[in-house]
Amino acid sequence: MCGIIGVISKNDEKKLATITVQCLERLEYRGYDSVGVASMEGNELEVRKAKGRIDEVVKRLNILSMTGRVFLGHTRWATHGEPNDINAHPHTDCTNSIAVVHNGTIKNFRELREDLESLGHKFKSETDTEVIPHLVEEFKKRGMDSFSAFKSAINSIQGSYAVLAIIKGENKIYFAKKDNPLIIGLGDKMNFISSDIPSFLPYTNKVLILIDGDVGYITPDEIYIENEGKKVNVLDRIKIITWDASAASKEGYAHYMLKEIHESPRAVDDTISGLISDIEDVKNAIKILEESKRIIVIAAGTSYHAGLYFSLLLQREGFNVIPVIASEYYNIKTNQEDSILAISQSGETYDVMIALKEFKANGSKIISLTNVIDSAIARQSDVKLYTRAGPEIGVAATKTFTSQIAALQFLYSLIKGDDYTYLNKAKDVIRRSLDFEGEAKLIGEELSAKSNAYYLGRGLSLPFAMEGALKIKEITYLHAEAYAAGESKHGPIALVEKDFPVVFINLGELVGELQNNVQEMKARKAKTYAISVNEKLNTDKEILLTVEDERLSPFAVTPIIQLIAYYSAVKRGNDPDKPRNLAKTVTVG
Amino acid sequence: MKALVLAAGKGEGLRPYTEKEQKEAITILGKAVISHVLYGLKKAGIEEVVIVTNEHEKQIQDAINVDIPFETVRQKRPGITGAVLDGMDKIPDDEFLLTFGDIIAEPEFYMNLMNSYITGNSKAVFSLVPVSEGMQTYGLAKIVDNRIEIVNEGSTLALAGAYIIPKGDFTDILEYFKKISPFSRYFIWSGKWIDIGYPEDLINAIEVLLSDLNNSIISDKAEISKTAVIGKKVIIEDNAIIDDYSVIKGPAYIGKNAYIGNYSLIRDYSSIESEAKIGAYCEVAHSLVEPRAEIGSKSYLTYTIVGREAKIGASVVTVSYPANPVRGRERKLGALISPNEEVYHGQIIGPNYRK
Repeated sequence: MCGIIGVISKNDEKKLATITVQCLERLEYRGYDSVGVASMEGNELEVRKAKGRIDEVVKRLNILSMTGRVFLGHTRWATHGEPNDINAHPHTDCTNSIAVVHNGTIKNFRELREDLESLGHKFKSETDTEVIPHLVEEFKKRGMDSFSAFKSAINSIQGSYAVLAIIKGENKIYFAKKDNPLIIGLGDKMNFISSDIPSFLPYTNKVLILIDGDVGYITPDEIYIENEGKKVNVLDRIKIITWDASAASKEGYAHYMLKEIHESPRAVDDTISGLISDIEDVKNAIKILEESKRIIVIAAGTSYHAGLYFSLLLQREGFNVIPVIASEYYNIKTNQEDSILAISQSGETYDVMIALKEFKANGSKIISLTNVIDSAIARQSDVKLYTRAGPEIGVAATKTFTSQIAALQFLYSLIKGDDYTYLNKAKDVIRRSLDFEGEAKLIGEELSAKSNAYYLGRGLSLPFAMEGALKIKEITYLHAEAYAAGESKHGPIALVEKDFPVVFINLGELVGELQNNVQEMKARKAKTYAISVNEKLNTDKEILLTVEDERLSPFAVTPIIQLIAYYSAVKRGNDPDKPRNLAKTVTVG
Repeated sequence: MKALVLAAGKGEGLRPYTEKEQKEAITILGKAVISHVLYGLKKAGIEEVVIVTNEHEKQIQDAINVDIPFETVRQKRPGITGAVLDGMDKIPDDEFLLTFGDIIAEPEFYMNLMNSYITGNSKAVFSLVPVSEGMQTYGLAKIVDNRIEIVNEGSTLALAGAYIIPKGDFTDILEYFKKISPFSRYFIWSGKWIDIGYPEDLINAIEVLLSDLNNSIISDKAEISKTAVIGKKVIIEDNAIIDDYSVIKGPAYIGKNAYIGNYSLIRDYSSIESEAKIGAYCEVAHSLVEPRAEIGSKSYLTYTIVGREAKIGASVVTVSYPANPVRGRERKLGALISPNEEVYHGQIIGPNYRK
C-alpha cells in the first residue's frame, strides 16, 4: 500500500510544501518506509526523495524549503524491491520533465520497460512505476499533446493504479484511477488529489470521489474528467463532507487495532507467499541454522514470544536453541559457531540492535526477520527474511505477531523437511476464529472489571499465554501474569481466591495436565477461562476452536487472545491504539 | 445520500407495551429511540430520511425532535422485505443507507458506515457487531475471503442493522443481502450499540448512554432545592424541580419539567423523562419513567419501565429478581407498565410483570 497526494494552487503559495507534508503525514498509515515530494514552479521541476520516515526525511532533505505552485507527494510501503532513495517516488522520465507518483502494481511493466529501453529510454530505479513517465515522454515525443500522451500511457499499462503526473511548464496534475482509491478535494484557489479524504480534510470538505476508469487533470480552478472517452459532468459528482471523516482511514473500524486483527488472514497469507518468492534467502537461513552449534533467538516484547515459540519447536527436535530477551544479551557469550535469529517488527528495535552488534562482533552469523524491508536490523544481517503484514498502526502488535508465527513455522517446517503447504490454510483458521469475536468480547469485558489475571499454558501454549497477558497489560492496564501452568503449586496459586480470573491457553497438547491445573484453580474458587483447540478443559467459560491440522492451532488461538485484550481495553474506555507510556517502535535503550 | 429508516415493527419483545406505543417512539434521555437514530444519521451527513411506519405513524412523527428533513411512508407489503420495498420507492438515488429505527448507538456508528462507503469504492457496506447468545435479531454473518457471508448459525458476528446498499429487485431482503455480499465491504463496530427489542434493552440503554458522562450537567433553569443532594453524573434539564431533601445520586437523567418529590432517591442509571412526577419518599434505580408518568409516594422502582402517562399508586414495590431476561448478563428485571395503565396503591409486583 502507498499514499499519494497532489496539491495545486493558483497563487504563489509559500506554504504549499508544508501543506503537502501535512497531507503526507496523514497518509502515513498507508506506508512509511520511504517518502518523496516533487514541486514545480514555472519551468523548474524538482524532486526530493529518500528512504525513511516522513518526519525524518522531511528534515534531512529540507523539503519544507521547496517552492512552487504544484506539488506531488508519496509515502511508500515496500512489499518487493527494497525501499531505498532511488526506488522512492516520484519517478521521472529521461529528461526530468515528467514526475509521477503511483499507488498500485503494474503487471506488464517488464515488457514495457524492455520496449522503452530498446527505444533508448534510460531507467534509474527497479520500480514498475518508472515506466509511466517514460511512456508519457515517448508518446509526447511522437507528437501527442500532454493529456493524450498521459492517456496513451495509462492505456498501455495493465494492473491496478492510482496515478498522478506533472509535466514541466504545465500548471496541471494529470490523474488516472483503477482499483486503488483516488479522491479530489476542491479548495479555495487550491485543489487536492489524494488516496483518501482525511489527508486534505483540514483544507476542504468539498470532495469528488473518482471511480475506476476515470482519467483527467486538475488545475487550481478546473477539474476535467473522462471515463471511457466521454466527458464526465463534474458538478454531479461533487459531495460535501459534513461529518467527521478523520476516522476514514480506519475503514469503519473504531480502532486500527481491531482493523489490523481482521487483516491477519491476509497478512499471514502475504507472509507465506513472500517467503516462497524469497525461497533462496530462506534456504540460506536454514543452512546457517542447521550448521551452527547453537541458535540464539533475540527479540523483545511480542516478537520475543514468537521467538520463544520457535525455540520450543526446535528444542523438541534436538536443536540447541536459546531464546534471549534482547536487553539481557550480556548474559550470553556467542562465537563463530553460533547463529543469531533476530526478530523485530520495525527492524529498528534498539535493544535488538545492540545485542546484534555485540554478537556480530563475536563472529556469529545473523539472520533477521522484520516487517520492514531493508530495515536497520535487516541491513546488519547475513540473511534478511521478512514478514509481509503491511503497515501496522496500532501500538500493540497483532497481525505482525501472527505473521511472525507463520514465518517461523515456515522455517521450522523446512528445517524438519516437512511440506509447508499446510500453512496455506492458516488464513482460514484465523477467519474461523474471528467468527468467535462475540465470545472473546464477553470474556474481555469480564476481565476488564478485574485487577489481576493469570494466563497459563504448557508446552507450546506457554508463549501464547505470555502474549495474551502482555496484550492485556499493554492496553487494558490490568495486571496479568503468565507462567507455565505446572508452576502454580510452587508459589503463584497463593494469590488465587474467589473469582480470581485464570485464563488457560490450550493448543491441544498436554490436555490432561492442563485439566488438572484447571481443577487446582477451581478448588480455590478461581474464575476459569480457556481458549482451547479441539479438546475442552471444562473451565467456567471456554472458547472451543476446532482445527483439522494441529500445527495450525496458534492461528486459532492468537486472534482470540488479541480480541479479548481489545474488548477489555474498550470496555475500560482506553484507546487501544495508543496505550499510555508505549511507542510503536522502541528506538531507545 | 438519503436514508431509509424502518419503524414499522410489531415490537413483540415489548408487548403489551408496544400495542399502545411504537417501540421507536419510546423516550430515553429526552430523545425518542428513533431520534437517537436520526441524530446519528444527521451527524453522518445524511440529507433526507424516509421512515417506514405502521398505524402508529403519528407517534413516530411526534417523537422526532431532530432537525432533519423526513417523510413517513405507511407500510403496505408485509415483513421487513415489504417495509424496505415500500420505503425504497421514495429513494431516487442508486444507493442508500438502510437502518432499523430501534438501534441506540453513538453517531460514530453511522459516521463510520459512511466513511467505509466513501473510502471503500464499493456499492455496499455492512456493519457487524460481536454478539453473545440470544442476540441474533438481524441475522448473522461469517467472514469468508474478506467478504461476508450471511448465515443462520455458527458465528458470533451479527448484522448491526445499518447498511449502505444499492437499490434492487428482491423478494427477500436477506436473500438480497446474500446476493450483494460478494461485492460488499464490511466493518466490525465495537462501540456502543443496543438493539431495542426487550425491556432489558431499554434499561441497558440508559446505562450505556450515561456511562460516558464524567460530570453533571445541570440546567440553570432547573429548580433545585438547597437541601437536595446532586451526585456526580447527573443530567438535569430545564425547569425540572428537585424538591427538598431529595438525592439524585446518579448516574441519572431528569427531563424537562420533571418533578422529584421530597426525600426521594434517584440512583444507578435511571431516566425520569419530561413532565414525569416522582412523589415523596420514593426510590428509583435502573428504571425508565416515561413522559408525564406519575409515581405515588413511598414507591420503589427497580429495573422497571413505566409508560407515558401511566400512574403508579403510593407504596408500590417492584421486585426485580429472580428474573430471566432474554438478553444481557444481568439476571434482574422488574415491571413493564404500558402507557396510560394504572397500578393500584400498596401492591408488590413480582419480576417480569407486564401490564
